[in-house]
Amino acid sequence: MEETLDEVVSLDDLQKFERAYNEQLFTDSVTKETQFNYAWCLVRSKYPADIRKGLILLEELFKRDQSEEGKRDYLYYLAVGNARIKDYAKALQFVRAFLHIEPGNSQVQNLETIVKKRMEREGLVGIAVASGFIIAIGAVLGLILAKR
Amino acid sequence: MASAPYSYSYIFKYIIIGDMGVGKSCILHQFTDKKFMSDCPHTIGVEFGTRIIEVSGQKIKLQIWDTAGQERFRAVTRSYYRGAAGALMVYDITRRSTYNHLSSWLTDTRNLTNPSTGIFLIGNKRDVEDQRDVTYEEAKDFAEENGLMFVEASAKTGEKVEEAFLETAKKIYQSIQDGKLDLNAAESGVQHKPSQKPRGAISNDQQANKDSCSC
Repeated sequence: MEETLDEVVSLDDLQKFERAYNEQLFTDSVTKETQFNYAWCLVRSKYPADIRKGLILLEELFKRDQSEEGKRDYLYYLAVGNARIKDYAKALQFVRAFLHIEPGNSQVQNLETIVKKRMEREGLVGIAVASGFIIAIGAVLGLILAKR
Repeated sequence: MASAPYSYSYIFKYIIIGDMGVGKSCILHQFTDKKFMSDCPHTIGVEFGTRIIEVSGQKIKLQIWDTAGQERFRAVTRSYYRGAAGALMVYDITRRSTYNHLSSWLTDTRNLTNPSTGIFLIGNKRDVEDQRDVTYEEAKDFAEENGLMFVEASAKTGEKVEEAFLETAKKIYQSIQDGKLDLNAAESGVQHKPSQKPRGAISNDQQANKDSCSC
């Protein structure tokens, strides 16, 4: 299931949907569809800067589009995008917001499972790094104290 | 003792396509979880599923991309067609419009995949025979004219669902054997994992040795 967070958009696609977006931007006539398609590609980029841009576009859409259909798409990809830049807490907020509206949605439940799994896995790594750091500080302190 | 859980020799990429509401996600869930979701919400973008199957003694991992059927997703879901080794094209036997749109789905598939992609036509919801709107014969004819494999299936009862996935894999595997499918091509949709002996195999050998020693 983790492919949802791992698959990467092709450069061709990203450029194609970027071009369409920029053309409409130039004439100040960006449609929801064009903005969504571009954002959807951006959040699947391998570059965090692209993903962040995608998230901004999705948030804009979320405010602009009042349709329920649209809202669920934006919430879902806001969760995906945030998970991909490892902001798991924020990703889970969007997941929960989604499940609040549509509690039984298995696609979003799956996403929740993956995000929690990653959070756990990388959280443990974080603790390991932190404890290594503490040991190092301890050693330095020990040296300083010994010198006295 | 636990044997090596994920040993497979091939990965095949599949896509599931067709109009909204024909039951694509239900077919996927029936295949991967052996469960029927009675209240299946519209898929957002694409959903992913996976299962390991066996064809001619080879373990094959299917990576299945289940695309949203709603029109507004279609521009981007097209990019998932690329590099698919198998395509399951689904219509609903109780809704004629979903059948009428097949040629458009087929055109997309032909344009965006390679010639060796195995395409399987699935008429879903055959459990609701009394609401049938498309006959078996006409769909069969359509499939034959276009060189597609075909079954009528039911994601609800599970009937023929397995068959569609397995037959597609057999076809792909056959193309590999016949040399029609170039594994080195970037977009074949097939990855070959050089056969690694699963970790469990070593202990099995040892077990075998022990057995032979004892006699």
